[in-house]
Amino acid sequence: MKGNARKLVVLAVLTVMLVLSAGVPYYTGQEAAAQDDITICFAFQDLETEFWVAGHRAITETLRDMDIEVIEVNGNQDANRQYEQVIDCIAQGVDGIILIPQDGESAVTIVGEANDNDVPIAVFNRPPSDDNPNDAIVVVADNEIITQQAVEYMAEQAQLQFEETGDKLQPLILVGDLGDPNAVGRRQGFYNVIEANPDLFEDPIEVATEWDAATALANFEAAMVANPEVNFIFTSSDFLYPTIRSVLEPMDKWVPVGEEGHVILGGLDGDATACMLMLEGYVDATGVQDLFYEAEITMDALLAAIEDENYWPNEIIPDPGFALTQGNIEEREMDMWGCVLYDEGFLDE
Amino acid sequence: MATTTNEREFPITTAQLARWYDIVRESPPVVFGIKWLKRFLFSEYFILYLTIIYFLIMTERIQVLDTPLNLTNVLANAWPLLAIAIGQTFVLLTAGIDLSQTSVMAITSVVGAALMTTNVDPLKFQNSILWGNIVTEEGGLLAGHQYAVELAILAMLGIGLFIGFLNGMAIARFRMPPFMVTLVSMTFFSALAIYLTQSNNIRGLPEDFIKLGEGDIISIYVGEQVRQISRRDVLSFVTYPLLIAAGLGIVAHVVLSRTVFGRHVYAVGTNARAAEVSGVPTKRTIILVYMFSGFCAAVAGIIYSGRLQAGRPTLGENLLLDVVGATVIGGTSLFGGKGKVLWTFFGVLFFVLLSNTLNLLKLSAFEIDIVKGSIILLAALIDVTRTRLLARES
Amino acid sequence: MSDTILEFQSTSKAFFGVYALQDVTLNVERGHILGLIGENGAGKSTLMNIIGGVIRADGGQVLLNGEPYRPRTPSEATQAGVAFIHQELNLFTNLSIAENIFIDRFPRRRWLPLLDMATMRAQTQQLLDSIGLDLSPTTLIERLSPGERQMVEIVKALSIDADLIIFDEPTTSLTARETEHLFEIIERLRAAGKTMIYISHILEDVMQLADDIAVLRDGELVGAGPRSEFDISRMISLMVGRNIEQLFPARETAPTDDVLLEVRGISQSGIVEDINFRLHAGEVLGVFGLMGSGRTELARIVFGLDEHEAGHVMVRNTNNHRLSARRSIRNQIAFVTENRREEGLLMNIPIADNIALVSLPRFANLVTQFVNRDTLVQTANEYKALLQIKCGDIQTQPVKSLSGGNQQKVVVAKWLMTEPSIFIMDEPTRGIDVGAKYEIYSIINDLAAQGTGVLFISSELDELVGMCDRILVMSQGEVRGQFDQTEFDQEAILRSAFREENGA
Repeated sequence: MKGNARKLVVLAVLTVMLVLSAGVPYYTGQEAAAQDDITICFAFQDLETEFWVAGHRAITETLRDMDIEVIEVNGNQDANRQYEQVIDCIAQGVDGIILIPQDGESAVTIVGEANDNDVPIAVFNRPPSDDNPNDAIVVVADNEIITQQAVEYMAEQAQLQFEETGDKLQPLILVGDLGDPNAVGRRQGFYNVIEANPDLFEDPIEVATEWDAATALANFEAAMVANPEVNFIFTSSDFLYPTIRSVLEPMDKWVPVGEEGHVILGGLDGDATACMLMLEGYVDATGVQDLFYEAEITMDALLAAIEDENYWPNEIIPDPGFALTQGNIEEREMDMWGCVLYDEGFLDE
Repeated sequence: MATTTNEREFPITTAQLARWYDIVRESPPVVFGIKWLKRFLFSEYFILYLTIIYFLIMTERIQVLDTPLNLTNVLANAWPLLAIAIGQTFVLLTAGIDLSQTSVMAITSVVGAALMTTNVDPLKFQNSILWGNIVTEEGGLLAGHQYAVELAILAMLGIGLFIGFLNGMAIARFRMPPFMVTLVSMTFFSALAIYLTQSNNIRGLPEDFIKLGEGDIISIYVGEQVRQISRRDVLSFVTYPLLIAAGLGIVAHVVLSRTVFGRHVYAVGTNARAAEVSGVPTKRTIILVYMFSGFCAAVAGIIYSGRLQAGRPTLGENLLLDVVGATVIGGTSLFGGKGKVLWTFFGVLFFVLLSNTLNLLKLSAFEIDIVKGSIILLAALIDVTRTRLLARES
Repeated sequence: MSDTILEFQSTSKAFFGVYALQDVTLNVERGHILGLIGENGAGKSTLMNIIGGVIRADGGQVLLNGEPYRPRTPSEATQAGVAFIHQELNLFTNLSIAENIFIDRFPRRRWLPLLDMATMRAQTQQLLDSIGLDLSPTTLIERLSPGERQMVEIVKALSIDADLIIFDEPTTSLTARETEHLFEIIERLRAAGKTMIYISHILEDVMQLADDIAVLRDGELVGAGPRSEFDISRMISLMVGRNIEQLFPARETAPTDDVLLEVRGISQSGIVEDINFRLHAGEVLGVFGLMGSGRTELARIVFGLDEHEAGHVMVRNTNNHRLSARRSIRNQIAFVTENRREEGLLMNIPIADNIALVSLPRFANLVTQFVNRDTLVQTANEYKALLQIKCGDIQTQPVKSLSGGNQQKVVVAKWLMTEPSIFIMDEPTRGIDVGAKYEIYSIINDLAAQGTGVLFISSELDELVGMCDRILVMSQGEVRGQFDQTEFDQEAILRSAFREENGA
């Protein structure tokens, strides 16, 4: 018994040592890298939605194309973990940081930490909260403008229909959680277009979704039963298309463009589902954050700051985005991140 | 060693450790035979030795590991974890477990921040039940108050004590199993924290509070003399979290090892029935232990909130494994009656160092969790084997 | 013709630097019953644990059937044909007899992962029949009496076809009838040619059963030989190393009239019913009752560990409205519980901390609550010396490494340190040897001489009759009789303890 136990302990200790030493590959650290090589720390919060998968890929591919060494750290939706990862990155002597923060509040703290350590930082796609006193390159999509572009194309289609029938159209918007600035901006963009065309549209119907599919379904169904004349629908996020379809289909309103009974349909995000529905002709237009553009502009700004030894770059770069419409899908399909994913068979998985 | 040319390292520590390492490495295996191994295994400082060995091995593989900046990072990560793990140690000593610690962190973080904040976004908070009473457009109830920070901290500690009291009452008086009780309060108070804030973070905390999470009292610079010291070369040396955690640790150590209450904690954890017959106030001891655990969690909540400069309803969501893991790795038994504050300190050091190296090795969050889980399991295995061996040796 | 089955050659074993067994050389003859006796801590358990594969010897060797024998685990011992029937029974109470017997080698249905229940039951039935035990193989252990459980252990030993069977205090929890039955079985096993080692404190039993007798004292073999060479008094003097004129020390003082403890009308439905008695200063009051008579429950209620529905307890003429252990301790009541392992001791904790557990506040600074460790250890050492506890360093040695008698002394020391005026002792001599018993009795007398009232609960009538001023007899939760010293009559006391039970 005694001998066995001793063997067990020795074995366990040896295993630990082996796992810890031999199992770990030699890591030739950043300091070995020559001075002129640039190392960038890419801290993201998770990869659990397709948007962030695409965003992560856009950035890493851009960096790799530029021959820049990337240290990737995944905060896995934990702000404190992300904070610790970023200071660990700083300790490794990185030249710059790209951050997709867990939320606007932790972004402020992490940016402050980078500022204190003289490391330039760029915040990607999710801006630090409004009171940010610290310096960062902030690349952010302009929801209002992007929405406007999509809804403008939808309004053009409405105009054509109005000329044909002479009836004003009944618009409906699925609004997000208005605590979220994104939802507020999207709603504003929608109203900007509707209010510019008073002769074309009736007063819009608002459906609250709280960014929740179940809430959206209940409220949208009720609204459609009460107002079956609705023929112009905008959703503040693409993830609600399946919900919309499940309500419209039984009402014989789920019809592709150009066929009798088509409801003019548009949304915002540009995900793979939206791309598929565009290609199948159910959706007229979708507003897209230009992820690839954002990645590139982030890189450019950050590298410029590193070049100039500007440790505290401070600029806000808006992404005007674009609208992918039935009119331009031929040329711009592959500019939309959702279509890239769709093309790679993302929805088949 | 490759890093001895690096001028940014701590001259004494690293050189010394390196020398030990070389001695160990170059000695013939006979010298460190069974006898040595036994002494190593049975030492109270086993996990500390393991930490040092691990550090020395990894230093060769990760160049930045022993840089002063990284070491300050490791320590900065250790303090709040130590604070919370001390509370867990007390609970484990009574053969209980406190799963609700992370939710105590979240709720105290949120409530403290709501009281102190000077900056509230009405759009985000108008749906919260705190709106209009504790939080208004002007900020929190205490915003601008002369003693805002002090009062908010008292409130946070009070909440921690209160939740611990509820746990303790349920466990001691109604004899409900600790696992169940604290699992429920974990779920309840986490949800409450999210509900109170409608899942929003609260910023606008006073500087004096933020300081508690990261503020330096003494900073140092290690390196050659230059006219202008780069900001990233100025290192934290003595920080508020250090003082808070170390103070808590020393008090906890003294209470546990020197006072009547401390002896009672061990007695209850070793054999609650015998303790009861011997006039140990078992119920009071258990209640106090859970209150202390809640208190420690609140302290950790203060440090983490200050560090992240916000009240966060999701604070510590993923921390439970770290807390229990660090405590158990330190050698505290899940079955009660065995453990020390000092051991927990070593466990926390090992754990934080482990996380740090895994970060530096560029592993993904999932890989990190897999490795951490395996290490905890391994530590538990070693501990069980050690205990068995010890029993046989005697 | 006799040959040797088991041979100890200079076997030694030390714990914490103290020899538990020193240079023991002893032969066990095939087909014989060896009676192994000795005080607790004399090394009997150590010797048997070495054979049973629980621990390993430090020195010397053991031969089984002439071959060196060093079992590393209990299962290796089992394979070698050695069966060990433990003092604390190792049965799974939630399983049936058959399942317990086959627990380590369930018969399978060929290659299927299914149990062959029929075979299991049939074989078990056969075994039960062989020792004349009228039980069904499917009966759950929890439904069996302690005696029947003991029989199941024996059946288990038989099922592995053991050549050598060790009985460690098998009669501790058995009734007289069950003991008789056990002896019949042992005789049957002897007739079947089995070798047995029988360990017991009850010297009469050893005299009745054993062919050979071996006596251990302080880890050494002090006497061995055929039964004919021994009588009870020789066994005792060998065990304790001196002559004991009498089993019970004489008491020089008489009880006074001061009432220390008065119990009035204590009732708790289903447990005790309307209990009344008084305990005087300097008195030793015995409570006799069989298991389940309510004697232990009564003590627990009086001490404040269990609840009661009616009645009250007066300590020195002051009524205690709410009873609790802490209050009782403040009232200078001490309570040695029946079960020292589960309720008396912190087994993994050092001796000193166990001794000081109740008196901790005494060693603490009033304000800081800091414990003065030096005084604590010093005082604990005084009690260690007073009670002659055999151990190493009391600061480091855990209680679990002590023998049963020494463990019990630790419990007594713990309570003596509180300087009690009322001492409740529930079976204080259970499972401890003659010498330790004598010491406990002496302590009781000393306590009484100092004016302490002792409530002495026991199921051994001999010791009550030998020690007490008065005896209360309990049965089915009620006090069925009270006897003053002048009227002590074992038969009358027993009759009153059994009176109702026989009728019911």
